[in-house]
Amino acid sequence: MGKAWAADRKETRVRRVIDNDLLTVIVRVAVGATFIIASVYKIRDPGAFAKSIWFYHLVPGDLINLMALILPWIELLCGLALILGLFYHGAVVLVNVMMVTFIFALSIAIARGIDIDCGCFKAGQAATRAAWEALVFDLVLILFTLQLLFSRSKQWLLSSS
Amino acid sequence: MIIRQTLTILALAAILGLGLNLFTPNRIAYIGQYRTLSTGNDPIVPPNAAPGDPPFIAVDLAELEFNSGSVIFVDTRVPEDFECGTIFGSINIPFDYLPDEGLEKYLDSALGGVARDRMIITYCSGEECDLSLHLARNLQALGYTRVSIFFGGSREWEKHGLPIERKHACDE
Repeated sequence: MGKAWAADRKETRVRRVIDNDLLTVIVRVAVGATFIIASVYKIRDPGAFAKSIWFYHLVPGDLINLMALILPWIELLCGLALILGLFYHGAVVLVNVMMVTFIFALSIAIARGIDIDCGCFKAGQAATRAAWEALVFDLVLILFTLQLLFSRSKQWLLSSS
Repeated sequence: MIIRQTLTILALAAILGLGLNLFTPNRIAYIGQYRTLSTGNDPIVPPNAAPGDPPFIAVDLAELEFNSGSVIFVDTRVPEDFECGTIFGSINIPFDYLPDEGLEKYLDSALGGVARDRMIITYCSGEECDLSLHLARNLQALGYTRVSIFFGGSREWEKHGLPIERKHACDE
């Protein structure tokens, strides 16, 4: 009985941290800024980003350029949406989907022994050893995007829907 | 509602990404040419090839390996040539700039520390250039077991309409 009560109390404490308005807004800005920064080179130089995608050897050739054109804009719009709090919940879902996809792609690349720079923030190069670093970075970042996914805070959203 | 927001963001991204591509100087083709059909022919073997040299491969085999995606293409020319037209996705190890000492360490790091049995294809511009042969000999001597030489080089590659990467036009 007492044990269950303690566990219950612990859960509400975790819940309270996750739902914290200040934490949520800080994470929103941090994650949003990360996605915006990551999108910039890709939007300016889609050819370089296409090459980065190509290095993963995961996307069919015909789709690489379409992905190189669209994905950076998803990142940019989601980044803006998180910071402004517009289309907020859709953006939270999308950044989480993107994080899972990026982690999946990097893991496959590492498992296959393809040495890549992830192409996350700058154009990828073959034969560098940054894939691991990128994976660690993404694994940390997804903790924050998951916090956003579970947070029930509705503070400082431009549109609360 | 979340689904509607998600789809709105995706649609906006598609419109902006595909639409603005029409107007930027860095525009790319909507459908990239990452795989192309091969045309078979015999490998070009230079007159100074010696018994025991790494194998010479023709453009069709080079293309096959290229499409497999597990091969490292090494452009052995100087960076100026590398930048003005090279096989897509290759790395540049200029034979002329190899160090006199610490060659093994230099090449290992230039290749990103890949396993010695990784498939490596060296090439330069074409028949007039044998830097690819010399670098391939070096790699073979260091214990890289799967080195091949694509002696047709970037010119033959381009002639067959295969993917070329070009930072700027060549200064002639």
